[in-house]
Amino acid sequence: MTVRFAPLVPIALALLAAPAAAQEPASVIAVPPMTTPDGSDRGAGGPAAIAWQATQLIASDLRSTAELVPVGPNQKDYYSYPEVTAPTFSRWRAQGAKFLLTGFVRANSDGRFTVGCYVYDVNKGRELGRIGFAVSSDDWRRAAHKCSGLAYTAATGAAAGMFDTQIAYVAETGAGLTKVKRIAVMDSDGNNQRFVTVGDSLVLTPRLSPRGGDVAYVSFVGGLPHIRVVDFDSNQQRPLVPTGGMTFAPRYSPDGNRVAFSMQQGPSTNIYVVSSAGGVPQRLTASPGIDTSPSFSPDASQIVFESDRSGAQQLYVMDANGSGQHRITFGGGWYADPVWSPDGQWIAFTRRIPGVGTRIGVIKPDGTGEQLLTTGPGDESADWAPSSRELIFERTGLDGRPALYRVAIGGGEARRVATPQAGSDPDWSGVID
Amino acid sequence: MRRAFALSALLLCAEAASAQLPGLRRRDPVPVAPVLVGIDALRADFLARAGSDIVYFGGDAAVLTPPARMTLAAQAAWLRQHPEVVVRIEGYADPSDTRDHALAVGARRAEEVRSYLVLLGVPAAQLTTLSWGKEKVAVLGSAPAALALNRRAVTVLVR
Repeated sequence: MTVRFAPLVPIALALLAAPAAAQEPASVIAVPPMTTPDGSDRGAGGPAAIAWQATQLIASDLRSTAELVPVGPNQKDYYSYPEVTAPTFSRWRAQGAKFLLTGFVRANSDGRFTVGCYVYDVNKGRELGRIGFAVSSDDWRRAAHKCSGLAYTAATGAAAGMFDTQIAYVAETGAGLTKVKRIAVMDSDGNNQRFVTVGDSLVLTPRLSPRGGDVAYVSFVGGLPHIRVVDFDSNQQRPLVPTGGMTFAPRYSPDGNRVAFSMQQGPSTNIYVVSSAGGVPQRLTASPGIDTSPSFSPDASQIVFESDRSGAQQLYVMDANGSGQHRITFGGGWYADPVWSPDGQWIAFTRRIPGVGTRIGVIKPDGTGEQLLTTGPGDESADWAPSSRELIFERTGLDGRPALYRVAIGGGEARRVATPQAGSDPDWSGVID
Repeated sequence: MRRAFALSALLLCAEAASAQLPGLRRRDPVPVAPVLVGIDALRADFLARAGSDIVYFGGDAAVLTPPARMTLAAQAAWLRQHPEVVVRIEGYADPSDTRDHALAVGARRAEEVRSYLVLLGVPAAQLTTLSWGKEKVAVLGSAPAALALNRRAVTVLVR
């Protein structure tokens, strides 16, 4: 997954859509079957087979978004190899498409495959971007996800790399007192799930390291809840800090070098930060109440957190060294679980409204523009998609079983994210290179 | 504990004797209640004399109510008479709370109970605390009554 044969063309900024504006109608993108050079092997595992599967995966990726409606792949829409870079735009305009994704898969002499994708504005007859990779036959899925990301970025202006990402969550089996919780990590399209913990002790709130490979989470192993870090390739794990007290609510800094978390001392809980390699934690808050759920701004200069220092829990922002603490929410009920968006524009939160339940909302870091995005009554634990345009969250149904959902901040219904087990505490990774 | 062992040994002998002499229905002097030994006997005695091992909290708070203080006074009296017993106070939040905050609230409730027991003369060395957050619910459901039964602190005899 290395040799990129064409640089990603910078996308016209005029396409940038204002986030959280009134819901825009979804755009149709034609996704006809990717083609192969003439004379390619048509057998199973050959370029033609991979081209068909890759196109299906791209359509599935784009269908999972709120902004794009893919049409295809349909067998009747095959096009020739030269048409990859010179499409007949009138053909796709007639299908009502605003965008078009073409591409090809070619077998190389070294046994690898070249996957190339191109995205066009159909009305203007203009190329918006291209991307390509030389991959082993096992890696075509990642190349296809990168193609989906190219189309999504071209159409919405969102940051690139949306689909080649991972989601960590707590997989739940059983119910009530016999419930077993295990930390699972899966590709964001729901494939390739594996368990990081074996279910021998209670676990909560997995957080993927931005560098990949590590998950910080809360474990009850040994009795006292505390943060552990596991490398999920080697399965080696260790406590984040050596402490006799309860530690919880971990979140990595955007560069992955630090972890902000909460530590309990007697009746009060405060926020600390520590190197992700370990060491001596630095204390950031010192209120007699409960300060928890810290989350870094994308430039790592600030931290948003929740505190009950004024009564009910509200959201506060402070500098990353603990100075300048100020409150940003003033609504009724409680505000909890703040998470800063990757583009820095929004802070997602869970709002508890007495008699209504818990709902997911967003607010700007200066405390303006609050809006609730979900209906509840049992929604919580939101985290951002790498695009900053969607949230993944946990919704508990009437049967008491939690499931993962995603919702666009531009509006629209929340949609279920398929997981093999009941799921809670989702964490969506950033872009993986 | 030793007396309990002796009782169960006596019971075994009585059964053996009646098996050897069929037809002779002997009047059984041994009560039929299960014989508890060790920590189980202590737990049963603690429950009987303290009235309850659970105290409940209102709303979002960790404030001890008058009934909770009465229960804890009885627990403290028992714990003062059993200085060899170590207890773990386990705090819980209700499932309508958010995950992180629930852990902190559970800890605060356990800490409130611990402080009150110390105030009533129980040596601090006898007491440890633990928060379960909103995990391990006692009563399922989102009705107010179900939520109220989950906002609790439980005094667990460890040894």
